[in-house]
Amino acid sequence: MSNITELIRLEGIKKSYNSVEVLHGVDLTVNAGEVIALLGENGAGKSTLVKILAGDIFPTEGVIKIDNSELAGLDVYQARQLGIRMIFQELNDAPTLTVAENIFLGQWPTSGGRVAWKELKKKAQEVLDRLEVDIPLDAIAGSLRVGERQLLEIARALIQNAKILVLDEPTAALSNIEVERLFKVMDQLRAQGVGMVYITHRLDEVTRVADRVQVLRDGNSVFLDSAKGVDRDTLVTAMLGHAATGNVRPEVSRGATLALEVKNLSDGQVFNDISFNVNEGEVVCLFGKIGSGTSEILESIFGLRPILSGEIDIYGERFTPKSPQDSVMQKIGYLPADRQRLGLFAIRSVAENLSVSSWGRMAKFGFVKKADEEKAFATWQEALHISARRGPSQEIATLSGGNQQKVLLGRWFEAQVNVLLLVEPTRGVDVGARRDIYDIIRKQAKESNMAVLVATSDYEEVVLLADRALVVSRGAISAEFTDDLVQANKLIAASS
Amino acid sequence: MVKLKAGSTAQGSEEGTKKRRKIPDSAPLVGVLLFMMVLFSVTSEYFFQVDNFKNVLANAAVTGIVCIPSTFLIISGQIDLSVGSAAAVSGMLLAQVVNHHGVALGLLSVLIFGLILGCFNGFIVTVIGVNALITTLGGLGFLYGVALLIGNGQTLGMKNFDWLGTAQPIDIPLPILIFAVLAIIGSITLRYTKFGRSIYAIGSNPNAARVVGIRSNRVMFMTFILSSVAAALAGAVLASQLSSGDPNSGLGLELQVVTAIVLGGASLAGGRGTILGTVLGLLIVGVLNNGLILMDVPTFWQRIAQGLMLIVAVSFDSIRAKLNNTRS
Repeated sequence: MSNITELIRLEGIKKSYNSVEVLHGVDLTVNAGEVIALLGENGAGKSTLVKILAGDIFPTEGVIKIDNSELAGLDVYQARQLGIRMIFQELNDAPTLTVAENIFLGQWPTSGGRVAWKELKKKAQEVLDRLEVDIPLDAIAGSLRVGERQLLEIARALIQNAKILVLDEPTAALSNIEVERLFKVMDQLRAQGVGMVYITHRLDEVTRVADRVQVLRDGNSVFLDSAKGVDRDTLVTAMLGHAATGNVRPEVSRGATLALEVKNLSDGQVFNDISFNVNEGEVVCLFGKIGSGTSEILESIFGLRPILSGEIDIYGERFTPKSPQDSVMQKIGYLPADRQRLGLFAIRSVAENLSVSSWGRMAKFGFVKKADEEKAFATWQEALHISARRGPSQEIATLSGGNQQKVLLGRWFEAQVNVLLLVEPTRGVDVGARRDIYDIIRKQAKESNMAVLVATSDYEEVVLLADRALVVSRGAISAEFTDDLVQANKLIAASS
Repeated sequence: MVKLKAGSTAQGSEEGTKKRRKIPDSAPLVGVLLFMMVLFSVTSEYFFQVDNFKNVLANAAVTGIVCIPSTFLIISGQIDLSVGSAAAVSGMLLAQVVNHHGVALGLLSVLIFGLILGCFNGFIVTVIGVNALITTLGGLGFLYGVALLIGNGQTLGMKNFDWLGTAQPIDIPLPILIFAVLAIIGSITLRYTKFGRSIYAIGSNPNAARVVGIRSNRVMFMTFILSSVAAALAGAVLASQLSSGDPNSGLGLELQVVTAIVLGGASLAGGRGTILGTVLGLLIVGVLNNGLILMDVPTFWQRIAQGLMLIVAVSFDSIRAKLNNTRS
């Protein structure tokens, strides 16, 4: 790129909360027609930095340079004035309104106090054309796919004259096709001179979409370079502060007894004729892209989703899932992908969150002793390295994602389940804690002879976690890999 | 269960760090209560007297009986607005049956009424899946009609049954004792039993509660039954105090109940609340009413004060939630 136009430059930004500094003097430059990828583990300071850019937070120190003026910080109104818009991972739309209304949400053009529908539709169509996406204007937003709704958010930002777009992990919930579509839209915007800050956890996205890449670690900027030809290991090393140990396959083993057997399972919608089995002490991964059906298979086994046909045997006995409660009674545990919605009792203590599924066992005459709960927590806190500074009574919402996930795993270990179903067990967990969680799952499976079935869309996870891997593609099992044949390239090839 | 080997030696240091002293959640309530008591002691010479306190408690007891299971409901994220009208129906029913068939059958009919209503509410909310607010608002409406129907719009005098409302074993009115026992049982249930803990879990995250194996519908169903039975009991106590069934006697009871509970720190969003808090909230409402009466404030002002109090209480609830969200 020849003549680069600088849109905004943050220099030496520091931010402290209650005298704890979380950003130690970070620079960030956004240029017109350029995508800068912002990487870093959870807690590295990415969110704080972009919130300062968006005017949500005022920096403690540092300057913000726009055109020729220097400011100590932005407020929300200034940020809007400058055309800075945030696109979040969570949708901020009105699902019951139409596409056209959503694009203009809250800023409907009016004439004489009435909404000017013609103008609204014309402009909405213009902006969708500009993004080269084909979504009917009259469709109800809630009926669209998540990826399409995300594009609507971008369309809304454009209607409001966005010059700088901050995209905070927008691809986390998207399928590969939708991700590619989003990238095309970003290419489009790049050509139109929009500056973009792109936050992601997926390293392979960086070379595809970004022009420059910047890595934050512990509140410092530790890496800034052109995204062209940057290699993965360099980025991981920058994020972690040390070289990542290579994806070494764990030592494969399995017990002799068949624990879970699934025969010709179909739900009539997403997956069809699925057959596989899991032995005691074995970790089997179902690998597939989001939407391939892996998570739905686990939901059905646990009783969260109806089954059309097929059989499930647990230790040789026919098991018909009726409800999650029944499955728990049958010693089956389930770790959901959506931790907030289905996993956590956010405002309750860590001890309670850990022992909730064991109350039935702990109770004597209906009474559950707090001491028993705390003992259970202490046991697993040590075994799983759960860091909860304020002890067993700390609210679980105040823990980091990785620690929350460990508590939820401990929940099923404490409940002494025979079969454990895990959906995307490291989603929203930072890189460092991931390895820890893989070790924990494997160790526990071997030690207590638990059959573990994992649904995941992360091939690296499969390589590090699985004794055996099954690839699911479009609702059917397309390949099986064992031992050292569980390799990233093989998995990816079989899943597409 | 397999024995775990200690994975690493770290972590143990946590025990050494000292626990942060926390101000109990009930402290501000106690403060408000004491403040009001001082205020009314100064403004009225009749306030700070044993008889008056008995009076306050006896009045609060009827509401309090309903408050215990209602606290369960609100913690679980549900609500029962039918309690006032249910109490009225119960009182009318009691008067009717006692007059014709005696006390035993009267009490039995009240109990059966409570059970049936609880099953009805529980069924509509947990099985059919209607919002509890709407279900019990409907109950509030139709049960008031039923109460009027039983007495043909009139109050029904009741003979020979006033001990439930007015007896004073060990020099304390019976309703207060009933309430105290229920409060203690309720508090223990909520804190120490699987049932009680499940209520907190359901209120905190109903979806997750299912996934971890809690029989949410069963727990909710039970709680609705407890609520209706308590309302029926409260109606019986009230009728016994008045020696008559009065279709209007339960008017506004649900308002007092919800005010006391929310004032006591239970969150309408579910997952938070204690019986101790509810009792304190109840006393605050009771002392306020009593103080206003002693100060010769006209009754319609009491209504205004009660309504406003609820709004203040839920505002606190919202402000607290906001503060919790910003605290990071």
